[in-house]
Order: sequence, then C-alpha cells, then structure tokens
Amino acid sequence: MTKFNMTRRSVLAGAAAGTATLGMPAYLRAMSGEFIIGASLPLTGPFATAGQLIAPAFSLYEKIINDEGGIAGTKIKFSTEDSGYVPQNALANYQRLLASEGDKVVAYYGDSTGFMKLVGPELKGDQARMMTSTSFATELANPETHPYQFMSGPTYEDQFNILLQDIAAKGGKTVAFVHSNTEFGTDPIKAGQAKAAELGLEVVLVESTKPQGADIPTHVTKIAQANPDYCILQGYVTGVWPQLIGGARQFGLATKFMGTFWGMEKLIADRVTAEAGPFLEGYQGVMPYRYSYDTENAPRLQQIAAISKVALAGTPLENYFPTWGIQAFASLDILTIALRRNAEMGKAPTADNLAAALATIKDVDLGGYFGTNISVENNKVGTGRVYQYSAESRLFTPTSDWLTV
Amino acid sequence: MINGNLKATYAADEKIVDNRYKFSFVWGLAVLAALLPIFANDYVILVACQVGIMVVAVVGLNVLTGYTGLMSLGHAAFVAIGAYGVTILHHAATALSIPEGIQPFLTIPGAMALAAVIGLVVGLPSLRVKGVYLAVATLSANFIIIFLIELDALAPWTGGKTGLTTVDPSIFGWVLDTQREVFILIAVMAFATVLLVQNLFRTRVGRAFIAIRERDYSAEILGISLLRYKLTSFAISAACCGLAGALMAYFYARVLPEQFELLLSLQLVAALIVGGMGRTMGPVFGVLVIVLSPELLKVILSAIAGDSIEAAQFRAPLQEIIFGLLIIGFIMFEPLGMTQISDRVFRAINRWPFARG
Repeated sequence: MTKFNMTRRSVLAGAAAGTATLGMPAYLRAMSGEFIIGASLPLTGPFATAGQLIAPAFSLYEKIINDEGGIAGTKIKFSTEDSGYVPQNALANYQRLLASEGDKVVAYYGDSTGFMKLVGPELKGDQARMMTSTSFATELANPETHPYQFMSGPTYEDQFNILLQDIAAKGGKTVAFVHSNTEFGTDPIKAGQAKAAELGLEVVLVESTKPQGADIPTHVTKIAQANPDYCILQGYVTGVWPQLIGGARQFGLATKFMGTFWGMEKLIADRVTAEAGPFLEGYQGVMPYRYSYDTENAPRLQQIAAISKVALAGTPLENYFPTWGIQAFASLDILTIALRRNAEMGKAPTADNLAAALATIKDVDLGGYFGTNISVENNKVGTGRVYQYSAESRLFTPTSDWLTV
Repeated sequence: MINGNLKATYAADEKIVDNRYKFSFVWGLAVLAALLPIFANDYVILVACQVGIMVVAVVGLNVLTGYTGLMSLGHAAFVAIGAYGVTILHHAATALSIPEGIQPFLTIPGAMALAAVIGLVVGLPSLRVKGVYLAVATLSANFIIIFLIELDALAPWTGGKTGLTTVDPSIFGWVLDTQREVFILIAVMAFATVLLVQNLFRTRVGRAFIAIRERDYSAEILGISLLRYKLTSFAISAACCGLAGALMAYFYARVLPEQFELLLSLQLVAALIVGGMGRTMGPVFGVLVIVLSPELLKVILSAIAGDSIEAAQFRAPLQEIIFGLLIIGFIMFEPLGMTQISDRVFRAINRWPFARG
C-alpha cells in the first residue's frame, strides 16, 4: 500500500501552484485561450427562417476576425445553440455555456426581446456578460436598468420617430399605425402617437392584428375607412405586412405603406413580388444599415460580400446578405471595438469593463454599415434612414439622408 | 418463490414506500437534491429548478387527469395565475406594510387559492362534457387567461405584454436571491407536493376521484357528488399549478405571457403521459424525461457533431425529431409510462433471483 507522504516542501509547492492558478486574473486565463461569444438563435420554431439566415453571419464573422489576427491577439469562437424562440431555452443555453466555458465567454448574442428581459436581472456578479441581440425593444436601451445589453441600431420608438419625421418632411398629414398584438408590435405605438402630435400629424387609426394569420380584409377595410396618407406597419417579420399591402392595393387605396427593420428584408419582398406581383412597389421603411449590395464607401460590406461569395457559394446568400445578418455583423463589430479598447487599457473583459468601453464609442466609423459616423449612446445607435422598394429592380434604395435621433 | 410483499402489520400495509429498494430510491433522490446546492454548477441548478417546478405542475395535472380522469389542455393558465398572482400579491403586501420576511407565507397560499378559484370556474364545463370536448374547453381557458394578462386595461397590474419583474422571496429575513437558494425552496415544495398528493389518494376524497375516473355514473349512484368532487379535483389541481407558477416567479427574474402559452400545457400533458398517469412517481419520471432529454440530446449531439454554427443548424431540427420520436416510442411501447418500467425493475430486483419481470 502506498503511503501518502505530505512534507513541508510538497505542501508549499502545492500551495504555490494553487495560488498561481487561482490567483491568476480571470482575463489572463481567458486570454490564454480564446474569446467565446455565445449565441442563441431560433433555428427551429416560428422564426426559424430568421435564425437560419442570421446563423451564417457568425461563421463569416469568426473567419474575418481570426484572419485579422483576432481581438488583441486572441482568437474568437462562436458557440451557437437553438432556442426555438423560447426565452427559457435561450436562458438555459446561456447558463449551460457559462457553466462549461466560464471566463472564456466574453459576450452573448440573444435571440429575442423576451430572452433579453428574462436574462437581464440575472446578469450580476460572475453571471454577467456583455450582450447584444436581434431586439430593438425600447426598454432595453437603458444603461440604468440594462447596463450590459446594447443594440446596434435605433429602438423601435426611434425608428418610428425617423419615419414620422420623414412623413412630415414629405408633406404627409395623416398617418395610421397597424401593429401586431405582440410586445414587439406595441412597443413604439404610444411614443409614436406623441411624436406624431408633436410633428402636427394626425393619427387617424391605430389597429392591432394577429402576428400571423391575421384577418386581412377586416384590417384593410379599417385602413380604407381611415384613408390615411401613410400607414406604418410594426411587429411583423415574414407575414401579414405583405398581405396587408396587397389587400390595400386591390382595394385601390392610395395610402403609402412603411415598415420598420424586421419588415424591410429584401428576400421577403422579392419572394412576395415573385409570387404575387409588383404590389410592393413604393413600399418604404426605416433601415439602420446599408443593404449588403450598397458597398460604395463601405469597406466592411465589401469584405462581407467578398467572403460570402466564396463561403456561401451556391446558396441564396452568395450575392446578397440579409439585413438580419448585417445587424449581427454591426452588433459584433461594436462589441469587437469595445473588446479591443478594453484590451488596450489592459483590463479584464468583464461585463462592467466592457460596458465602460462601450460607452467610449463616440463618432466612430464602423466600416460603412451606417452612412455616417456613429456613437453608442444609451446602449443604442440611434441612426437610420428611409429606403424604398422597387419591384422592378428588386432593390431597396434610400429616399432620405441618415438621421440620428 | 416470492410472489408478493409480505405485510404482517397494518403499519406495514400503510407504508408509502413498501420495500427497501423503493425506500433507498426515494431517499437517495432526496439526498441527491439536498447535495445539489452544495456541489452542482449553475447550469445543473437551473435544470434541477426547471425539473422541480414542472414536477409540482405535473403532479397537479395528475390529480385531475391521472386520478379523476378529466382531460385538460389548459393547465398552463393556472401556472400563469400562480406566477402573476404571487408577484402582484407581493406588491400588495408591501403596500400594506407587511414585513417582507413573512410575505411568502401569505403570498404563496394566496396565489394557490387564486388559481384554485379560477380552477373551479374552468372546471364547470366538466360537469357537462368530458374527453376531448373537455380538453377543448380547458384549452380555451389557456387562451382567455393569457388574453386577460396581456390586456391593456389590466396592464397596470400584470405588466401587459412586457411582463412583470418578479420579487426575491424573503423567508424570515433570508432573501432567496440566487438560483441556488431558490432551488432549496423548489426542492422542498416539490417533495412536499408529491407526498401530500400521494396521501390524498389514501383519503375519502382521493378515492372519490378514482371512482369518478373509473365510471362517473357508477360513482354518482354510489353517492359521490360529481359536482363537488369534480370541482374539488379541478381546484386542487389548479392550486398545485398555482404553486408551480409561484415558484417559477421566484426562480425567474421576470414573468412574460409567452412563458405560459399552449406549449407549456402540452409539455405538462406529455410529461404526464410519458411518466405514467394516475401514479405517484409518474410526474417525476415524466418531467425528468421531458426536461432532461432535450438537454442530453444537445450535449450528446454537440459531442458528436461539434458546436460550430453549421453543426448547430443541422443539430437543432434533428434534436426536435429525436425528441418527437422518443415521445412516440414511449406511447407505442410503454403506454403506461416510465412508472411501469420502474415497477418492473423494482419487482425484478426485489424478487431476484427467483423471478424476473
């Protein structure tokens, strides 16, 4: 039987080794490997289309950054899980990743407003990580209540603000708000009414619909009765908004329709045009970013276009990268700036330090996602412009200057 | 050859766990639960809490569906009532200057009572309809409750579509503000619920439920009031789900209406079917399968296919398919659920080496 000999020397050596491991700052332990950025995406469930279109952005981004030599010499790696668009699943994914990878996890990409709200109060102590997501919910753009969560664009309220300013500038007098009866749909309605009043626009209709499978003829009739100059649609992704516009066109309404970020995807507009005809001609909406084909003066978009041509050859994304993926790219680039600045200051990539680094992002050229330099204020980038769809060219083209609200 | 368990005294006959294998299994689980907060990592605690909350809710559904034979597809509504109820009651208690340390002793029973009252109302159709018709009637309760929670007019209390930030319970000054601490509460409540409901079926009320399940006309002829006992069953069942909801509110930092939609009701029913209806351990086994198998599938498939994004895109639908096949497999090959399998195992080891199966 072997006898365990505990000598003074072995105890001291053991204690020294233990202190070296435990005492080493967390960021050094993390730096020795890689930065892991976790993500939950709806790869199944009602928003699987969006999730599947966003997913390639992560692998492309990983390649771009690692080819550049990583972030301050540290390579990045994404760890993506399906959430099925269920907030608790995304929370479980997040905590599973923290339990398995610990300090290596420096940031997380969430899949919904619901998840961001659910996880928000959990982000404290060693559970806190910097987070960004698909959501532009107004509530999240508040460093007081959500210090570690940011968005790379304007909130839905800001997007309404941009649209309403554009309507007022174009001489519109009346406006209708049609929104899904979800939190996503109702988010900017009250603030939109106040802003419209401020701009001298009359809100002639606020109509709530189901997010999917809405009763189109009834809603179109209501819009026809109100007969607004403009109608802003909010809270839809792939369905309802094209049907509403189609119904209104069949009805012979002259109302101009507008949408916000999630209702501005070219792939959806193209599919609708191919299947149902050119009734989306003239459809407008607010978009925080340039479309992926608008690469002039946008080196990052050129880089994305070049790399997707090779990496996504033979897929529908070979020549066009969806706006939902561009959002992920822009968010990750903002995060990368924060990580780089933080590393330059020699600080550990903790959520607190990254939040402080994020707040230093002022008047920065992000590489062309936006047509102007941007600043992160109140954990958001309040910049966007209005685009218009052409059924003939199948392109969204800008009709306003970049506005920052 | 051993062909049964010898019971020589009335006390032995009344025992809940009637052989030493079951005894070690039950107490083994209890010891494991007691050790978890000390040794487990945050992720294990998260999953264990999800299991505990679901067990309480499925035990509630088991009272109604498993023991009384009344089908419900709307039990997520009662979980929602519990979660919102406990949060709203905490705010009310604070407004009334009730000390925080004793609030949970009022709010948890309050939320359960509220769920029970709503359960009585939802249970009314059970007096006229049963089977799939009752399932549809209860299903509508799920939609109505969620609709009311999201209603703008009630938003000052329920938070509407944006949900409510929940309260960290304080038990005599011990604030349960970490998941690890809330797990202790959840584990105690889950254990107590399973035990109390097990005992319910050793009483006159419980036997009346079983009589109604077997044949409601015959039960009525025997003098069992269907009105009284069906509604009692609904109330007890809803109260358990209300408790699950209250625990959920304590566990998650926020309650959102989408947490309580049809998916949750279906998960409760699926867990009960997989575990075994009308059996004490049915809800426990069923929840373990329903909650743990997607997690295990994720871990196993990640190990096989890697955790790259491309692999995740491939894995995600595959996980859903395998999970679906698992449920179908259970229903086809063991319709009596996991409890039946565990019974066979315990019977075999109890009688070994004389008999198997």
